[in-house]
Amino acid sequence: MRRRLLGVALAVLLGGAVVAALVLGNQGSGVTVVRGVIGSEKKSFFDDPEVKAAFAKHGLQVEVDTAGSREIATSVDLGAYSFAFPSSAPAAEKIKKERGATRTFAPFFSPMAVATFEPIVTALTRAGVVDGTTFDIKRYLEMTAEGTRWDALPGSAYQARKRVLLTTTDIRTSNSAAMYLALTSYVANGDDVIQGADAKVAQRVAPLFLDQGYSESTSEAPFEDYLAMGMGKTPMIMIYEAQYAAHLFAGDGAVRPEMRLLYPSPTVLSKHTLVPFDQDANEVGRLLTEDPEFAALAARHGFRTANPGVFAGLAQGTPLTRDLVDVVEPPTYDHLEQLVAMIEERYL
Amino acid sequence: MRALLALLLAAASLTACSGDEPFRILAGSEVADLEPLLKDSGIEVEFTYTGTLDGAEQVARGDAGDYDAIWFSSNRYLSLIDGAREKLSTQTKIMNSPVVLGLKPAKAAELGWDGTPVSWSDIATAASAGRFTFGMTNPASSNSGFSALVGVAAALSNAGEALDAKTIAAVTPRLKEFFSAQKLTSGSSGWLADAYTARPDVDGLVNYESVLLGMREKLTLVYPSDGVVSADYPLTLLASSSRKERYDELTSWLRTPETQRRIMTATHRRPAVPGVRLAPEFGTASLVELPFPNRRSAADELIGAYLNQVRVPARAVFVLDTSGSMEGDRIDGLRTALATLTGADTSAYGTFSRFRNREQVTLLPFSDHTKGQQDYRIPADRPEAVLGQIKSYAEGLSASGGTAIYDALRAAYEQPVDAQHYSSIVLMTDGENTDGSEYLDFQLYHQALPAERKAVRTFVVLFGDSDVEEMRQIATLTGGAVFDARDGSLAEAFKEIRGYQ
Repeated sequence: MRRRLLGVALAVLLGGAVVAALVLGNQGSGVTVVRGVIGSEKKSFFDDPEVKAAFAKHGLQVEVDTAGSREIATSVDLGAYSFAFPSSAPAAEKIKKERGATRTFAPFFSPMAVATFEPIVTALTRAGVVDGTTFDIKRYLEMTAEGTRWDALPGSAYQARKRVLLTTTDIRTSNSAAMYLALTSYVANGDDVIQGADAKVAQRVAPLFLDQGYSESTSEAPFEDYLAMGMGKTPMIMIYEAQYAAHLFAGDGAVRPEMRLLYPSPTVLSKHTLVPFDQDANEVGRLLTEDPEFAALAARHGFRTANPGVFAGLAQGTPLTRDLVDVVEPPTYDHLEQLVAMIEERYL
Repeated sequence: MRALLALLLAAASLTACSGDEPFRILAGSEVADLEPLLKDSGIEVEFTYTGTLDGAEQVARGDAGDYDAIWFSSNRYLSLIDGAREKLSTQTKIMNSPVVLGLKPAKAAELGWDGTPVSWSDIATAASAGRFTFGMTNPASSNSGFSALVGVAAALSNAGEALDAKTIAAVTPRLKEFFSAQKLTSGSSGWLADAYTARPDVDGLVNYESVLLGMREKLTLVYPSDGVVSADYPLTLLASSSRKERYDELTSWLRTPETQRRIMTATHRRPAVPGVRLAPEFGTASLVELPFPNRRSAADELIGAYLNQVRVPARAVFVLDTSGSMEGDRIDGLRTALATLTGADTSAYGTFSRFRNREQVTLLPFSDHTKGQQDYRIPADRPEAVLGQIKSYAEGLSASGGTAIYDALRAAYEQPVDAQHYSSIVLMTDGENTDGSEYLDFQLYHQALPAERKAVRTFVVLFGDSDVEEMRQIATLTGGAVFDARDGSLAEAFKEIRGYQ
């Protein structure tokens, strides 16, 4: 216990020394440190040495902590940061309103997508859920409502007794699951954006989450299982397109030949939206949005940017689609939260 | 500028100091085999080991503040406990191992399971027909047992979604068939593998693939075609820790392809990151992962059904030292420990440790002579009345007289055993043998016992001024194990032993 206290004391001292050094350092070299809290899927972007170098050219050093997008909008103490950068526009809107920010930046976005395997595509095509690279959410909801299992699909090479269900993250903690809820609730609501807690819609979409059993709390973990452990564990999974694209663009061999990417119809866009709380953060937002160097770097990490040509150039010759059709708007933050709360009750 | 330099130097030297502080991990014994490998990480790591369920409850209660991270074979049960999720920060999976069945090659061939796909349903059918026997850890104390139970229940229930109370009730009869073939239990995966080696009558084990592949005697692994539940070993930063950077360093090192390959070779676990080629020992079967319950109530219901209805019921004989030296705090500790097993401890770990429905319990208090034998049969329903009797008897225990350990232990071995119960003995004593027969007498007596009574293990609890050497000999002779309560509480030792009964 004594060692522990000593450690804390040292950490406090050290913290003070570093702050002093940074303050003095800022004066000395003209580098401005800007701290932000971001969704974890953008961490590799901000950790990229080339991104750091690009910021340095403008006299900026951006330091980030990660948190779930829902946490950023609710529980994180934003007072310690110059900006928040959640992965959804509704969460950013809520932060903007609560913090009285004057504007937001939406430098890049990524549609929700389905990562799966060739034998699954074949079986689902035969079942009428998949057409080409389009994953039909309406047909999928009909199939899940009947409790269809993989081994009951005609001609399915995946002979598992498990239910046909997309793997998602935990709806109670994760933004990617909330995005999935946005698009399934749209279809369950008769092709209309939900306007609050609708018991009938909740009834229809709750099993999509609950029947999966245990789900992970971050979007990276189940996607890694998909890549490393294959079809047995994760036959199909709801992801951000950027997760898949980043591996394709990096050419790291993680995406193997039997893997496939499908686009749900309808889909929603995860709009990564930066909310600045001070002038330095404004500059970070402006650079990310306007400077072509940052757009090019973001595209390499799999994100789409305002100029579609950048992503399209990298995507050429890959299964990634250039044009997104059938994109719907997510519900407002409060409406989506109310629906999540209704589903959350069923976990008890 | 000079002032700045001085500050930076001060900062640098302070960094060096705080760098000496080891990164503290509360871990399950399943990851102990990684300790030697971690020495090469360049990061000083300090492990403290605890049981999965016990550790999970420590974290949920907020009693894990002395640690930076936890590392168990899975966080799934933990995350179902109220208040636990908020205590966890980042989780990073380090490796993977499914829970499967390993059989002696001759037995696997006899059953025709060495080439064709086999389902849990096939396995349950063969088990209920008495065609093979197996050992498995206790689902209430060990993650491999719990994973196996979830897997078997999910597969046999024929439901494609996560288990709930209704499916569990419906699948209980099938589970009973399957577990009628269980002849060996244990509170930990490692001890199970050791105990199995000494039991030629047990044909195989349900355990982590990594443990089965690591056994000296080669086993044929059966990967059930309808699915498995896997351990994914998430190294998890606690929200209360301020050492995220050290955590990041450690996890990135663990996840480099080089380290992942070393883990795979040294511990027979599958890599967690894409791009590391699987060794041939893992075979080519595609493993379907079965859904894991996402409600605490379902998980507890399943464990409860296993303990109260499904498993082969236990017959537990407690040989309890109530000699004069037990006077005072010690006898109080013994009364509390026994009360704990009657349901007084309401934590999940405590609840699962209580005497179970259908169990037979015998209390044999002794001093220089045995002080009368108490036999209890816990009924299949409504156990409260009998549990209450045990509790009030325990509360009336008093300390006096000398210590005749071996006479009392011998009386325990005189108890009848039958195939419908899983018999074991707990021996608790706080001092040396002062009266009656000696260890050597007991050894001779034990050697002459008929096989079915000789197979009864004695779990020894060290307490007070126990003769450590002789107590170890008893455990070794009878194939039991030693539990040390000299620095802790008797109740904790008793709860741990319950996993082995």
